[in-house]
Amino acid sequence: MILFAAVNTTALIVFGLVLSVTLGITWWASKRASSAVGFYAAGRGITGFQNGLAISGDYLSAASFLGIAGLIYIFGFDGFVYSIGFLVAFLTVMFLLAERMRNSGKYTIADVLSFRLRERPARVAAAIGTLNVAAFYLIAQMVGAGVLIQALVGIDFTPAVLITGTFMLVYVVFGGMVATTWVQIIKAVLLMIGIVVMSLFVLERVDFNPIELFNSAEKAGKAEGSTFSLGPGTFLKNNTDMVSLGLALVLGTAGLPHILMRFFTVPDAKAARSSVVYAMFIIGFFYLLTTIIGFGARAILGQEGVEKAGTGGNLAAPNLAEELGGGAGTTGGDLFLAIIAGVAFATILAVVAGLVLSASSAVAHDIWSSIIRKGKDSEKEEVLVAKVAALGIGAIAMFIAILGGEGLNVSFMVGLAFAIAASANFPALLLALSWPRFNTAGAVTGVLFGVVSALGLIIISPIVWGGPPGAPDTGAFKWYDLNNPGIISIPMGFLGCYLGTVLSKESGNERSFHELRVRAETGLGSEQAEAG
Amino acid sequence: MTDAPGQADAQGDAINYEAVEASPEFQELVRKRRAFVLPATIFFLVWYMGFILLAAYAEGFMSERVYQGLTVGYVLALTQFLMVLVLGLMYLQRANKTYDPLAEKAIEKYSGHSERYAKADNHGNADAAVGSRAAGSDQGAER
Repeated sequence: MILFAAVNTTALIVFGLVLSVTLGITWWASKRASSAVGFYAAGRGITGFQNGLAISGDYLSAASFLGIAGLIYIFGFDGFVYSIGFLVAFLTVMFLLAERMRNSGKYTIADVLSFRLRERPARVAAAIGTLNVAAFYLIAQMVGAGVLIQALVGIDFTPAVLITGTFMLVYVVFGGMVATTWVQIIKAVLLMIGIVVMSLFVLERVDFNPIELFNSAEKAGKAEGSTFSLGPGTFLKNNTDMVSLGLALVLGTAGLPHILMRFFTVPDAKAARSSVVYAMFIIGFFYLLTTIIGFGARAILGQEGVEKAGTGGNLAAPNLAEELGGGAGTTGGDLFLAIIAGVAFATILAVVAGLVLSASSAVAHDIWSSIIRKGKDSEKEEVLVAKVAALGIGAIAMFIAILGGEGLNVSFMVGLAFAIAASANFPALLLALSWPRFNTAGAVTGVLFGVVSALGLIIISPIVWGGPPGAPDTGAFKWYDLNNPGIISIPMGFLGCYLGTVLSKESGNERSFHELRVRAETGLGSEQAEAG
Repeated sequence: MTDAPGQADAQGDAINYEAVEASPEFQELVRKRRAFVLPATIFFLVWYMGFILLAAYAEGFMSERVYQGLTVGYVLALTQFLMVLVLGLMYLQRANKTYDPLAEKAIEKYSGHSERYAKADNHGNADAAVGSRAAGSDQGAER
């Protein structure tokens, strides 16, 4: 069979281990995920520390692990800018949303909006935002999964996407949020162990002196054709684009539905708060180590390794693992490569499961149950619809990923997801919780302005039209050269919220704003944890 | 015990939100929380966007050496990690020590309800279960 032409057997065994453990968890979780609160929110019985790990597992995608390590390997400092943005974003989440989400919502972002706005339009708007973000993020992760598994294990792109998609659906459909949470927790633990062990191996080579690592990375970065630098400006060449990306990163996380949904899985706001702090520590430590991996790859693999590291340097971390283990062909090298590949695989599975769950909850809870059936459906029916929706969404994502193939640019799709999240979801959520006058028309216009401006600007951006990042005059129009739309589309989202609110005659939301305010601040009247 | 009903929150009229909102405890809670969160949010956005702007527009400065291969840019990046750590712990401490007790007091005194959570409607026995649950979770979060 062509399928298994050059399969790495050790990697296959590690993959098998990851899959059997996660399937075992799904079997255990399946009994606990039959009610709606069990399926969407794990019965709200996840502790703060567990949720902190799960948020880390939900958030640290393959783009974080392999992508950032690769960018730092190839470009140096500019890759690290992503790490900083992804981390500082959690302060936005903690200060502005985490506890208030837990106190005012039930299962989805739309619950918070519809609390004080007219239910149907508010839910439709929130579902549009959620589905757009989840779709782009999900397709990006699926393509990334296919490319990686192909490179690391030797399974072809199409079957690799199908395998990933199938397991993702098994976790979600049979185990709901309970299984998804524990897959994310296990992945976070594996990922942290993996990156710590790799970092220790790297640091051992420089006698545990990080400065020495920087020096040798810089020395290796002086090679012919290298783009590596310890200062900025090698990857993000367009200054405005860098600012735009920085803005989209720091505000986008606070609009990611699969991250916000995690706050509904804890018993109260206190646990929501402590889970963000745990997540910040775990994620911060992880991103700090991305420089050890990236600089280590530069110092150890050198410029000769760039070609082997593939597009964007995505394979730099696995290649480094192979080298640290003893080199290609050695038992140690094979084993270390296989383990890191297995960690990367677990990473992808945990993230896509979270994404599918958030998208299917928007379809089942917001569109089906609240709008089509107007709350007249049974809980059983809603959970069934959520499972069917998950299957549909998963199938579509697999189909587009296979159709688009390896040609789809993964980091561009993730950047787009962050830009839409920051421009559409974040402004509406923040204003619903803090602006007494905010109304339904404002929420709907805000979400539409955010989605349309982010999508439109991406469509005319240079990266879509084939130009290299940062190169001028390669977009659809000479006057527009930004690859990340955040700097324009985020203000557009807020502007839409404002204009929609002041231009519509709708009023009478005052009372429910006061209710929401008390509820968000104190937790009075918020959803209780499932008993038992 | 009982499954929480999937639909229809019990926004019982018995919860007196207005009284809670008007209470001195609630006002103090909002004021104190805002007095920390607002300046902290402005500070972290300025510090972070300052870093981004320097990386975008002051490449020379960011590439300068502090010590051998350690650049100004990397040191400033490390301050971002430190900022996240410090602000995170500061907020956690304030919330546990000051905000939570104020919120509890406001609810106890003015809501007409001793119970913080939405009652699972039609199930009179929900209260006892929730009380023990919430107490257990607090310990879990504390550790």
